[in-house]
Amino acid sequence: MRKVINKQQTYRTKRGKALLGHIVNTSLKYKLWIAFLLLIIVIGGYAYYRQLKFGLIVTAMRDYTSWGIYISNFVFFVAISLVGSLISSVLKLSKNEWSRPLTRISEIIAIAAIICAAVIIIVDMGRPDRFFYVITHLRIQSPIIWDVIIISTYLVISLLLLYLSLLPDIALCRDRLTAIPKWKKMLYRFMAINWNNHPKQVVMLQKVSRILAITVLPVAFAIHTVTSWLFATTWRPGWDSTNLGPYFVSGAFMAGAAVIIFTMYLIRIHLKLKKYITEIHFEKMGKLLVLLSLIYLYFNINEYLGPAFKMVGVEGEHITELFTGKYAPMYWFVQIGGLILPIILLIFRPFRKPLPIFIISLFVILGAWLKRFLIVIPSLQHPYLPIQGVDESYLHYIPTWEEWAITMSSFAWLLLIITVLIKLFPVIPILKAKLDSETIVKLNIFKNEKS
Amino acid sequence: MRNHNYLNMQVLKVFILLGIVCLNNSIIYGQDSMEDAIVSLSFLEENESKIIVTKAVDQSGLPIEDLELYYYVKRTFSLLPIGDPFNATDENGIIEVEFPNDLPGDTEGNVIIVVKIIESDLYNDLTLETTKNWGLLVQLPDQKVEKRSLWAAAANAPISLILTVSVMIISVWYIICYILFKLYKISKIKPLKP
Repeated sequence: MRKVINKQQTYRTKRGKALLGHIVNTSLKYKLWIAFLLLIIVIGGYAYYRQLKFGLIVTAMRDYTSWGIYISNFVFFVAISLVGSLISSVLKLSKNEWSRPLTRISEIIAIAAIICAAVIIIVDMGRPDRFFYVITHLRIQSPIIWDVIIISTYLVISLLLLYLSLLPDIALCRDRLTAIPKWKKMLYRFMAINWNNHPKQVVMLQKVSRILAITVLPVAFAIHTVTSWLFATTWRPGWDSTNLGPYFVSGAFMAGAAVIIFTMYLIRIHLKLKKYITEIHFEKMGKLLVLLSLIYLYFNINEYLGPAFKMVGVEGEHITELFTGKYAPMYWFVQIGGLILPIILLIFRPFRKPLPIFIISLFVILGAWLKRFLIVIPSLQHPYLPIQGVDESYLHYIPTWEEWAITMSSFAWLLLIITVLIKLFPVIPILKAKLDSETIVKLNIFKNEKS
Repeated sequence: MRNHNYLNMQVLKVFILLGIVCLNNSIIYGQDSMEDAIVSLSFLEENESKIIVTKAVDQSGLPIEDLELYYYVKRTFSLLPIGDPFNATDENGIIEVEFPNDLPGDTEGNVIIVVKIIESDLYNDLTLETTKNWGLLVQLPDQKVEKRSLWAAAANAPISLILTVSVMIISVWYIICYILFKLYKISKIKPLKP
């Protein structure tokens, strides 16, 4: 039976109460949300059990479309994981102080997304037990190996990014939070690694944080560029392009910014943080999203204009199928609804208010996911070397319920990891000002309860 | 007494029912009984062409006419069909299938030829496998003399690629280790005395 915690939590400041309250109190809404996510995960688990039992035949993937929505989803997750580097590195190094409250949200999303990306790639393998052969029979010439290396590196860096920014707040949780279960106290004590607000510690933390902020940038660019090379080094129409690296990276930044807006809106509402995630944040993120979308639009034009002008062979067939064929509704929804309209709308200030920009970012995210579908599937259906006596089932790809259930379950995992991390740690830095020795001494904010 | 008679009647009914079921089963299985065909393979080489000659006879030694046989050559992952899509025996129970001249074999030129009877109405499924020295000789690349390239074995990756990837991995992981070391140092700093 769960122990009842009788101690009443007291807070020193209103800010502390607002930012730490959700860690101490567990609402019914939170429990229902977790139960809902677990339900989706269980359904996905059953679908995966079927896939393991009967093999990949339960999916709609065949000899032509051998990469289905699992790989589209993988590319999407890798894309949104780049958001951690966007906020923690690009905005931090360019001294955009306004983005400070969004740093942790972005790092949490990055970690959840990269974990799900790594797992979904194993789901895509017909025999997951053979994953270790990838390591034991490693061929450094294979872009897949580059991807495995870079994903694991980026996961470690993302964990470090979050941890370094959290460290002083974990110590604060350790010292201040009394009305929490024993396991949480032990967790904070373990994770705080004896952080005691010593000026030397602050200086060292600042130094390593800066080093990491610089390191994450090339790694983030590498992770999505290498993911794009998985396609660019495979000889298929639509992928045979030198534009693919920057095209993927710019698309990832755009999708990541939209995911941040989407998440910060929900956190703002459900954790009652309107004072801390303000309209100014939405306003600035809106402008940033317009900038990133314009860059992505530029690469989109580059990606399609050349082949569409020439219309050569299978490449032409592929373009025709996207522009006017069976994928045209999805293609034009993605380009107009997920890219052009958001740019136009977000230019106007009223659309950068929290609710409108939340809805727009939802369309951008949906467009980004469908875009990955359009990058992966139609290309596979037009091989340069067609197979003789092709089975009817090879020519179409309509994902089966197992694929959808597993995909939905991967999203549930993503949301579950984000929710649990938000529940465990302060999602916005408790310290209002930037962490440096001077601020710490001035505010005496980490003073121990006992002292 | 009446109860005893009633029980006897019930037992009798059950036995009659079982009898009918057994009789029906024997009729059904009797009608559908399948026999094993006897298939023999011989190989002919005339000029440039190589021919697989197959003769199928039933248990009493009579030739089987119109029996469909399927021909394959074993490859690394699956069976490669050869011959026409449908190959049926003639009135002498014989089929001749030409073996392609351009199929790679192993290092000695051996290929495994597979002949199958699949879902015949009268004969049981059958698979025959024969090794024949009809394939092209394939020389496995010698790893020691293989040129370093992107398509070579793992041991023969281009030096430039190995160096580039290694430098990148070592640089990033060096920084990660440095940060972990600094975190360890942070954990060892004792608090200031009040």
